[in-house]
Amino acid sequence: MNPSSVSSRFAVLGPYPRTAVAVLLLGAALLFSFGGMRTSLYPELLSVFEWMETTWFGYVGKTWGGAFALVQGGHLVSLGVLGGSVLFSDGRLLGLFSSLPIRDVIDGAHKVFVGALIVVAATGVFMVCGVAVKVYYLPVFWYKMLTLTVGVLFAFFVRKPLLDRNIDQVNPWVVRLVAMSSVMVWFTVAATGRWIGFS
Amino acid sequence: MSDQQKETDKTLRDDTLAAVVVSGSIVTFFIVYWSFEIQSVRELLEMAYG
Repeated sequence: MNPSSVSSRFAVLGPYPRTAVAVLLLGAALLFSFGGMRTSLYPELLSVFEWMETTWFGYVGKTWGGAFALVQGGHLVSLGVLGGSVLFSDGRLLGLFSSLPIRDVIDGAHKVFVGALIVVAATGVFMVCGVAVKVYYLPVFWYKMLTLTVGVLFAFFVRKPLLDRNIDQVNPWVVRLVAMSSVMVWFTVAATGRWIGFS
Repeated sequence: MSDQQKETDKTLRDDTLAAVVVSGSIVTFFIVYWSFEIQSVRELLEMAYG
């Protein structure tokens, strides 16, 4: 797509539309969290989680421990693959594996990342259905959903557009900052995910 | 400088600025969140073992 046509479409957001959208989303997230909307929406969601337990996934997850364990195994393995792709790609951006071509590492790792993310999400939905009401009352579950959402939005709408161009054009400190924050957000997703298992 | 080059530079500045804003927020959140969690664990350990 022609960059000028894209910029004219988002001209209403000013000279830096991606930055404007990022700031607006961050502001909306803060308003949602601290403006009372989160606490008013929370009770409404209980019926959704109760319904999830009545679905086919919910029945299988609750009554057949082997199926739940099998899917959880797939969830953990795919999360491991996702974490590996993040560490490999961001490690390369931070200066590790410097003998490998940076473009090949970033593009290859992104393909693995997308595949692993799809499996993580699909198996995660199944697992939540089995223990939906339990996780509804766990604050750490909501922290995981928050960090997962931030991680996905960050990967596709901030990190990828920045790194899709010639990396040499980008300020190296910005590249390092992006790599560090990517590792941090996916570390938090993994840690809060395991925390759910211990809650 | 051609219009195409100016547009590319502007897009680069926009992507860079967005990356700095979002990455800075993530790093700040990460430090604050895990600091509170570590503090909470320390308080629990102090309550348990003195």
